[in-house]
Amino acid sequence: MALEKPRDLLGAIGGVPLPATEVVVEATGVEKWFGRLHVLKGVSMTVKRQEVVVVIGASGSGKTTFIRCVNHLEKIQGGRISVNGHLIGYREVNGKLVEDREKNIAKQRQEIGMVFQRFNLFPHMTALENIIEAPLLVRKTPNAEAIEMGRALLARVGLSAKENVYPNQLSGGQQQRVAIARALAMKPALMLFDEPTSALDPEMIGEVLEVIKQLAREGMTMIVVSHEMGFAREVADRVVMMDDGQIIEEGTPEHFFTSPTHERTKSFLSKIL
Amino acid sequence: MGLLVAGCSTNASASTVHLNWNYFFDSVLHPDSQIQNGLWLTVSIAVTSQLIGVTLGTFAALAKMAKFRPFRIIANIYIWLFRGTPLVVQIVLFYFGLSVARVYGWPAISFMGINIDGAIQAGVFALGVNEGAYFAEIVRAGILAIDPGQMEAAKSLGMTYGQGMRRIVLPQAARVIVPPLGNEFNNMLKTTSLLVLISVPELYTVFNRKQGNYFAPFEFYLAAAVWFLLLTTIWSVIQAWIERRLAKGTAGSANAGPGFWDRLFGRGATAGEKAPLISGGR
Repeated sequence: MALEKPRDLLGAIGGVPLPATEVVVEATGVEKWFGRLHVLKGVSMTVKRQEVVVVIGASGSGKTTFIRCVNHLEKIQGGRISVNGHLIGYREVNGKLVEDREKNIAKQRQEIGMVFQRFNLFPHMTALENIIEAPLLVRKTPNAEAIEMGRALLARVGLSAKENVYPNQLSGGQQQRVAIARALAMKPALMLFDEPTSALDPEMIGEVLEVIKQLAREGMTMIVVSHEMGFAREVADRVVMMDDGQIIEEGTPEHFFTSPTHERTKSFLSKIL
Repeated sequence: MGLLVAGCSTNASASTVHLNWNYFFDSVLHPDSQIQNGLWLTVSIAVTSQLIGVTLGTFAALAKMAKFRPFRIIANIYIWLFRGTPLVVQIVLFYFGLSVARVYGWPAISFMGINIDGAIQAGVFALGVNEGAYFAEIVRAGILAIDPGQMEAAKSLGMTYGQGMRRIVLPQAARVIVPPLGNEFNNMLKTTSLLVLISVPELYTVFNRKQGNYFAPFEFYLAAAVWFLLLTTIWSVIQAWIERRLAKGTAGSANAGPGFWDRLFGRGATAGEKAPLISGGR
């Protein structure tokens, strides 16, 4: 069965939710400890409006932890992260950062979509219910409107026929496409992808990457943790190499293909290319 | 039963023991109004107490997992107290203890036109509060059995912890909790008999009185056993039906629990295989 090309994804949610500021993500000197393990050692990153940043690096390099910090699924012990011009997870009191109230954090997360390695669809809900749950509950979108948007999103990731199907009856690739639609339904200004294809069988990787590529073409601002260098070459404005909790090299995809400078980058790329 | 009768007849020749089987068959086949009322009372006390237990247990489980430390302390003290003392002691302490100490006299109340005796209220209270302490651990295990990624996905969509718990985690945990819940309710149906201590006229109390009145302990206690067995058997059928319904749709029929007959004869999937959540005996 030929896969329907994803199209006009953002049209389904009423156009590109343009970030309010030119700089969407501004992370400076982010420090993260897991107990005595220093996982992020002063990571700084700026992502501009409609920019696609692909983060690569060996497992344990901190790349997943970093994007989890961007929507405050992880606390940080130093530095600061702003999205759309406001601090994430913390507020400033007398020059010190204290953790923000839960309600505010939840509100901040509404504008940051996240797609997980293991999909994390809600198994007790159908594909459509997965998509409309948060708009109904969090955004208080009227029922009819949410359903219409959910159906439009499903159609555009090529899963119209699966509206009433539960996640365990979907293939991994289909589940991940529903998960992307679910994140988009909140009309986020920024999308985070945490190794979206690394739990998939090889033949399903393409269909998920197609959706992400389409999103990139439509101007969604994104940070993608991925080892798919072909994909990075096609969509990334910038590739960031992380190693041992630090960003060690940064540049265009072409730079990484033709002239990586850092030894760790060279050996890493030689293994995955 | 032939064996029993045969055994009795040899006894009878030795010491003239005479079993009046009419007591037994009448109690089982033509239950009088006392027995009927006892049945009704046993079932309604068990259902009410279980509902209280499930509610308290769910709150206690959430409190035990809360970030706010005082909640955790209160939940731990509650569970510690009610699992650490005998249910029998709790029943008499609540009913006799509180009323004699003039803390609460358990006056009869009228609810939807039905007069509810103080002893019944105290009994339901004790059974429910005790059950809550056990059920808290079952709920907690059910919640812990759910992939943490579910709460993370809920949060990443802008839900608060409470919203994620209510809409995403608890509905999934409920499915894990149902088999041990059935176990608990089976227990509850039988445990109501402890209310004989405070003279609640439930099923066992009725038979306990009858055997005394007629001095026929074997016949009447055996009849009581049959009635309780009937109640728990009916419940097993209902439980198997509920579990199969819950398994439909999402979990895939391969995971459906064993049916009633498989359960009775120990065939099919072993219950503990998927989730090691069966509550401890007491």
